[in-house]
Amino acid sequence: MESPKESLLEKFRAALSRIASLGRSGAMDAEMDEELRSHLAHAIDENLARGMSRKEARNAALRSFGGITQTREAYRTQRGVPVFDQFVRDVRFGCRQLMRAPGFALTAVLTLALGLGATTAIFSIIDALLLRPLPVPHSDELTVLNYRSINDRQNGYSFNVPVFRTIEKGHDLFSNVAAFSQHTLQVRGNSGNVRVQGQVVSGQFFQMLQTPPLLGRWLTPQDDQKGGASSQFGIVISEGFWRSWFNHAPDVIGRKMIIANAPFVVVGVMPHNFFGADPVERPQIYVPLWSEPIVDAPYDNIAAGEHSWWLRVMGRRKPGISAEQADSALKASTKSIYEEAVSDHKWLEDQKDQRLGAEPGTTGFTYLQRFLAKPLKAIFGLCAVMLLLACLNLASLLLARSAARERELATRLAMGASRRRLIQQLLVESLLIAVLGSAAGLMAVPIISGMLTSILLGVNATQTIDTSMDVRIFAFVALTAIVATLLIGFIPAWRATSKNLNEQIKGGSHTVSAHQRTRLLPRILMGLEVALALMLVVGAGLLSASVARLYRTGLGFEPKGVVALSLDMGKQPLDGAALTQWYQAYSEALERQPGVEGVGYASMTPMDGSVWTSTIQSSLSGGDKEMHMDTIGPEFFRTMRVPVLAGREFRWSDTPTSGKKIILNDAAAKVLFPNRNPIGQMVYRDKGDPIEVIAVVGDMHYESIQHAAPPTAYIPMGQDKGHKSSYTAVVRLKGGAAAFAAAARSLASQMSPDIPPPIMISFQDQINNSITSERMMVILAIYFAGCALLVTAIGLYGTLAYATARRTGEIGIRMALGAQRLSVVALVFRENASVAITGSAAGLIAALMASKLLASFLYGTSVRDPWVMSASVLTLMAVACAASLLPALRASRIEPIQALRTE
Amino acid sequence: MGDSKSDVLQGTLDLMVLKTLEAMGPLHGYGIARRIEQVSGDTLTLNQGTIYPALLRLEQRGWVKAEWGMSESNRRAKYYSLTRPGRKQIESETENWERIAATMARFLAPSN
Repeated sequence: MESPKESLLEKFRAALSRIASLGRSGAMDAEMDEELRSHLAHAIDENLARGMSRKEARNAALRSFGGITQTREAYRTQRGVPVFDQFVRDVRFGCRQLMRAPGFALTAVLTLALGLGATTAIFSIIDALLLRPLPVPHSDELTVLNYRSINDRQNGYSFNVPVFRTIEKGHDLFSNVAAFSQHTLQVRGNSGNVRVQGQVVSGQFFQMLQTPPLLGRWLTPQDDQKGGASSQFGIVISEGFWRSWFNHAPDVIGRKMIIANAPFVVVGVMPHNFFGADPVERPQIYVPLWSEPIVDAPYDNIAAGEHSWWLRVMGRRKPGISAEQADSALKASTKSIYEEAVSDHKWLEDQKDQRLGAEPGTTGFTYLQRFLAKPLKAIFGLCAVMLLLACLNLASLLLARSAARERELATRLAMGASRRRLIQQLLVESLLIAVLGSAAGLMAVPIISGMLTSILLGVNATQTIDTSMDVRIFAFVALTAIVATLLIGFIPAWRATSKNLNEQIKGGSHTVSAHQRTRLLPRILMGLEVALALMLVVGAGLLSASVARLYRTGLGFEPKGVVALSLDMGKQPLDGAALTQWYQAYSEALERQPGVEGVGYASMTPMDGSVWTSTIQSSLSGGDKEMHMDTIGPEFFRTMRVPVLAGREFRWSDTPTSGKKIILNDAAAKVLFPNRNPIGQMVYRDKGDPIEVIAVVGDMHYESIQHAAPPTAYIPMGQDKGHKSSYTAVVRLKGGAAAFAAAARSLASQMSPDIPPPIMISFQDQINNSITSERMMVILAIYFAGCALLVTAIGLYGTLAYATARRTGEIGIRMALGAQRLSVVALVFRENASVAITGSAAGLIAALMASKLLASFLYGTSVRDPWVMSASVLTLMAVACAASLLPALRASRIEPIQALRTE
Repeated sequence: MGDSKSDVLQGTLDLMVLKTLEAMGPLHGYGIARRIEQVSGDTLTLNQGTIYPALLRLEQRGWVKAEWGMSESNRRAKYYSLTRPGRKQIESETENWERIAATMARFLAPSN
C-alpha cells in the first residue's frame, strides 16, 4: 500500500518513527488498546441511541469493527520493523527451546566454544606474527633481506658484518638499510648488575623505522662508529625503561649508564608503542652496532667478520621500488657486494652459490615468523577442520533433536506456517548456539593463546607474542560464527521441515522404516566426523614420531657449552711440523685452564658457512663420490660429543710419515662401503695414494638439523698439506667464558707474540635452535588432535544418547519379549561401532591421500608409518567405546513396563 | 454481504481518510470510519479496524498528526488532523487517482 508519490524524506521519516517505536512497544500497545476501546465505546453509544439493547449494540459494534486481533497485529506490523520483531520473537522462542534441554544446550555451546576458541587462538597468533604491520610510519615500504644457496630449502636471514656494511654503504634501492640483533645487557644498578633486554642496532636503524623519539634524539650513523660519537657510545632507551629505571626523570638525556662495565650515555627515549623491527622482542635499551664487542664480551662478532652470521638486516625501499624489484636487483649484485665486502678467496668460493634477496617486511622480522609460519598455517588448517568437525557434531545433534520435533514441525506446516518461516526460526536457534558458543570461545581465547604462547616460547622467555584482540580477530570471529550458524542449522532445518504431515502423524515413533531413514543422515555426519578426527590424529602422530626422531638424532653433536676460538696463523713464522707442535702445546695449555672439559681443532666448524668438498672412491663405491671434507685434530669428536662408532680418533702421532689415515662419518661409510666394515680398508682421494680408514663416527649436521648430514671424511691436521693453516679450536667449557677468553688470549700471545689475539664466538649463538619449528608443530598438533578427539567423543555420545532415548519404547518391547540386558548393551554399542569403523576406514583412506601435504614436515618418518596409523585407529575406537558406554548402560536399565507406558 | 459491495481497493483507503479529514477537520478514528461508510453509501465493505493501521501509516509519513481530546459524547478519543504536507499529498494523490480513473474509464467504455 505504499504510495508512489512518497518522497525519500517521507520514507526516511517513516523508518525513523518505526525504529523509534522499537524501544517502547509496551506503551504504544497500551495507547492503541485505549484508542480501540474508545472506538468501540463510540460505536456502542451510537447503536444504543438507535434503540438497540446493550448486548446487541456491543455485538454490532464488534461486527463492524472486524477482527480486533488482526487489527492489532496489522497495527503492530505497521508500527515496528517487522523482521526485527519477528526475530526478537524467534530469539525468545529459541531461548525457551534451549532451556528446555539444558544438557543439549551445554554440549552444543561447549563443543562450539572448544572449536572456535582453539581456532581463534591460533588465528590471534597468526595475526600477531604474520598479519599485524609494525606500528611505524609507512611500514609497507619495509623490506627484509635474505640469502639462499641454490640447493637450500630455506632462506637464510643472518648476515655478517662485512656484507651488511657493504650493503649499508652503497645501495640505490633503499633509502635506509639497518641491521639489528638481540642481546641481553649487563646494566649496573644501585645493587649490582641487572640483566636488561637490549638490541644492538646499526646507524640507520631509527631513520629506517621513522618513529619520532619521545625525548632527545635517535641514534645516527655518527653514533655507530668505532669508539662512539665522542669517546663513549650513545644509547636510546624505551619509554618503559625510562619509567622503571629513571622514574620518568625529565633530565634523562645526557645521563650516564654503565653497561658491561663500560660507560654509555642516554641520548633519546622512544615512545611507548615502539619496539623496533622485531614484533616479538621488547628491547629496553638500543646500543650502537659498533659497541657489540663491549656488550657481548668476551665474544666479538665484529672481529669474527665474515665468519659470524648474526645480524638481521632490513631496509626501507625508495618510493616506486617494489619488493620484487629489490629482490632481483640484489640477486644480480650479490657477487659484486660479496667481493667488495670480503677479500678471502676461500670464503668467496664457498659462498659462490649464494644469492642475496629481499622480501616484504611490513610485519617486521622475527625468526619466529620463519619457524612458525608453516606450522601455524598447517595448524590453522587443522583447526578449520576441527571447527568443521564441531559444526558437523552440532548438526548431527540438532538432527537427532529435530527428529524428536518432527511431529511438532509437521503439524505447524500443516496449519499453514510457511517452510521459510520455520527454517528461519530453526536457524535462529542455531544462531543462538553459535553466538553463545562464540562468546564462550572468545572468553577462552586469551587463556588458550596465553597457554600456547608460553608452551611455544618457554615459560621464562623474554619474547612476547602480542595476541591482544584487534579488528582482524573480531572480524574473523564474526565470520566464523555466521558460517557456523549456517553449517549447524541449515541441514537439520531443511530436513526437519521437509516432512509431510500425513506420513508423520501416521508414522508416530513405531514405524521402523521412517526411523531408519531419519537416522541415516546423522550417522553419515558422525562417520564424517570420525574420519576427520582420524586424519587429525594420524597427522599429529606422524609429526610427533618425526620430531621424536629429530630429537634422537639431534645435530649429531652437542653445541651447548662449546666455544670456538679462531686462530690466525698467516703472519707468524712457524709452519709444517713445528706449527703442528705449536697447536699441540696450545691445546694442552688450554686443557689445563679451569672449567675446560675438552679441546679439539677443526678447519671447518659447523654453522660457520664454509664448505670444502673433494672426491673419494673405494673398491666398492663404483667411481668417485663427492664428500664434504674437514681437517681436524685429536680429541675433536670427544669435545663435540660426536660418537665414535668404530675405530679410534686421530692422535698427534698421525704425522705425514706414519701412513695416511682418514675417518669417515656414518653416511660416508655407507656410500663407500655398503654393508661392509670399512675399518682398515683403503680409499683414494682425488685418485691419489691409498688412505686407510681408521674410524667411523656419527653424522654431524653442518648447516642445520633439517639439512641432511653430508657424507664427510676427516683427515688429521698432522697430515694436512697446506701451509701455515689456521684452525679453529673448539673448546668445551663448564662455567664462565670470560675468564677463559682472557686466558686463551694471554696464552696465545705468550706462546707466539706474532699471532693476533684469537677471536671467540659461541656455538649456541650460531645455531638458532634449529628444531624449534618442528617442536612447535608437534605441540600444536598434539593439542589439536586432543581437542578433535574430545569433540568427536562429545558428538558420538550426544547423537547416540539421543538415538537411544528415542528407542526407549522399542528397547522396552525387546526386553518385554525377553531380550537380555547384555544384548541391549550390545545393540547400542553396535550402533556407534559401525559408525566408528566406517568412519575410520574412510579417514584412513583420506589420511593416506592427504599425507603428501605433511611429507615436507616429516623427518625420517614415512607418511604411511604403520605404527602411527594403527595406534590412531585404536585411539579412535577407544574413544567411540567410551562414548557408547553411558548410553548403553542407560539403555540396559530401561524398565520395560515404564518404557511401554510412556509410549 | 452482497455482490454489489466491493472491497476497499488497495491504496484508496489512505486517500479516503485524507479527504475525510480535509472535509471534516480534526476527527477521531470512529468518526472517520463512519464518515467513509456514509459517503460510500454502503457500497464498500469496510472493516472499521483497518483504518487504524492506515492512520498510523499516515502519521508515520507526517501527513496527519494525532492528539488526545474529548469527544462530543464526553469520551476520551484520539483526534487526527491534516498537516501541511498532508494537504499537499491530497493534491497529488487526487491527480494520480483521477488519471487512473480516466484510464480505467477508457478501457471500460464500450468499443465501437
